[in-house]
Amino acid sequence: MLNRKTSLKNIMVSIAPPVISIGLAMLVGALLLLFTGQDPLEAFKTLFWGAFGSTNRIAETLVKATPLMIMALGTSIAFKSQLWNIGGDGQFTLGTVFAMLVALNFSALPAPILLPLSFLAAFLGGALWGGLAGVFRAKFNANEVITTLMLNYVAVYLLGWLVRGPMIDPNGHGFPQTPLIQESLKLPILLSGTRLHFGIIIAVFIIFAGYVFWRSTIGFRIKLMGEGHHVARYSGIKISKTIVLIMFISSGLAGVAGWTEVFGIHYRLLDDINSGYGMLAIVVALLGNLNPLGIGISSFFFAALIVGGSTMQRMVGVPFSLVSVIEGLVIIFVISRVVYTQWRDRHANRTFNPGFSHQSTGGGH
Amino acid sequence: MQTELLTQGFLISLLAGAIRTSVPILFTALGDIFTQRAGILNLGLEGIMLMGALGGFVGTYFTDNLWVGVLIAILTGVLFSLIMAFLSVTVKANQVIAGTALTILGTGLSAYLYRSIFGVQKLPPQIEAFPALKIPILGDLPFWGPVFFNHNILVYLAFILVIVTHIVMEKTTFGLSVRAVGEHPRAADSRGINVPLVRYLCVMIGGAFAGLGGAFLSIGFMNTFLDQMVAGRGFIAVAVVIFARWNPYRALGAALLFGGANALQLRLQALGMPVPHQFLLALPYILTILVLLSVSKKAEFPAAYTVPYSRSER
Repeated sequence: MLNRKTSLKNIMVSIAPPVISIGLAMLVGALLLLFTGQDPLEAFKTLFWGAFGSTNRIAETLVKATPLMIMALGTSIAFKSQLWNIGGDGQFTLGTVFAMLVALNFSALPAPILLPLSFLAAFLGGALWGGLAGVFRAKFNANEVITTLMLNYVAVYLLGWLVRGPMIDPNGHGFPQTPLIQESLKLPILLSGTRLHFGIIIAVFIIFAGYVFWRSTIGFRIKLMGEGHHVARYSGIKISKTIVLIMFISSGLAGVAGWTEVFGIHYRLLDDINSGYGMLAIVVALLGNLNPLGIGISSFFFAALIVGGSTMQRMVGVPFSLVSVIEGLVIIFVISRVVYTQWRDRHANRTFNPGFSHQSTGGGH
Repeated sequence: MQTELLTQGFLISLLAGAIRTSVPILFTALGDIFTQRAGILNLGLEGIMLMGALGGFVGTYFTDNLWVGVLIAILTGVLFSLIMAFLSVTVKANQVIAGTALTILGTGLSAYLYRSIFGVQKLPPQIEAFPALKIPILGDLPFWGPVFFNHNILVYLAFILVIVTHIVMEKTTFGLSVRAVGEHPRAADSRGINVPLVRYLCVMIGGAFAGLGGAFLSIGFMNTFLDQMVAGRGFIAVAVVIFARWNPYRALGAALLFGGANALQLRLQALGMPVPHQFLLALPYILTILVLLSVSKKAEFPAAYTVPYSRSER
């Protein structure tokens, strides 16, 4: 009985901070709505209805959660090792490109072979793009934040060129898009009448795989890296090799997220196939405290926010950008939590709590 | 085409264009020299620039006065950067995450406010941007006149601020404090320098400059506000400062390099180069990566770079 009580308390303790952060962010969002002459109650009601109002809407929310889950898990791997991969967008894009190249060029192969092959290609595409930043960091000490970001812009233009040039659909009347993939490659729809596709199962599987990963030898090595390079070096870990490996895995998952979007939703490459999931994945990973279950839950929350947000824009004319405002605020409140904790501890013990170092971004290890 | 490349007219427009397009990066980079020197990596500059671009545009639109626009942009930049200062100095948060949050927030907030203020319009609202100001005598020089002395006043201001930044950083006690705080906060503290205060000020100076850089885009370069108008310049400015090893003159050189890449890309497109224009558009971003690769190994960052300071911790 006592045991159950403490575990309940543990759950409350770990769930309360993200919930409070979201609550505060929504509150500031409401103030902003009031300030611009909108009715916050009406706006949030539409948002909620837009995300959960019908089977189709719930399905749509799960559709958006799919790439977010996969990509945020990838982001968490890098973040946990103190590598700041914020190039998810570019890695996602390269994943879609590689997968599509395989799907279009080997279309003679049977689907059961071609589909996994394209999956691997997507992983590889993302992994190479991010791995490049990893090599730059390992060999040249080039800040991975800036290189991954710059690679995002390069990827946008690369895709723009591909869908207008070498990969353009010859029967597409000049639209910037590739041909459709063949029918047999489309991921099965789980709920007829909706767009909910098999990708969500893959995403959930990857979330569970995340737990296994952190218990593996590689996972352990990566966690050690997060404790600081000295700690890792003393443990006999080859730093530069591990940096490249982490970037490779982390961005490979972003590529896989791209794969689910192509084979589950669009069935082709489009200019704007990447809808800014990369930045969102960072928010999701942080709100989820860099742990797999947390990421699963918070990607569902943010998926609801974007699905509901676009309904809100359509129905009550609240600009969709409010969603980004809330995203930014959520991170700010998540990291500001520390101030409150320090304040509380100081008043409780009358001593300063030195336990927090700048390296922990919200616990998790 | 080759003959066209070599004409004087082309070269003049290329160089003048390089100077103009380097200015928003230069403003932002100059402010970021203070911020980075004090030991803080502010990746929120992108968001701050966007807020500045909006502030400058809104201020000018409603008052019909460009200088009011500039002032509001600077103010917006300072206020917005306070969030970064709070997160990095008071909260001692991870600066990469804090900066990313600020960029996401700035991107969302500027787009949100723009839509709320101006609604959805067929034609975007416009203002009369800063006009070119030809400097007497110098402006009439052949070749150099149109390249250097026929820009709007903000361009000249940027160049003056390069010198000001150098003087403040190297010849004043404030500059000395900034460097001390970035190199050895504990020693600075023991000499009576208020470490958190200096860091707050440096982030705010960075914010003021970034606001100005953003305003240059909306009211000095174009005459409207666009959601995507900053397009990575905030991040490029951070790279420029690292490349320049915290020296304003070298920052000027690096900013000009990016301006040059951008201006070249625009003009090659106009000439109908047989290279896909997307490759040319990607040029400044690829250049940023190459520049980082070339300097990062040697770069000696301030010793306390990205490390929060707390008196009671050792």
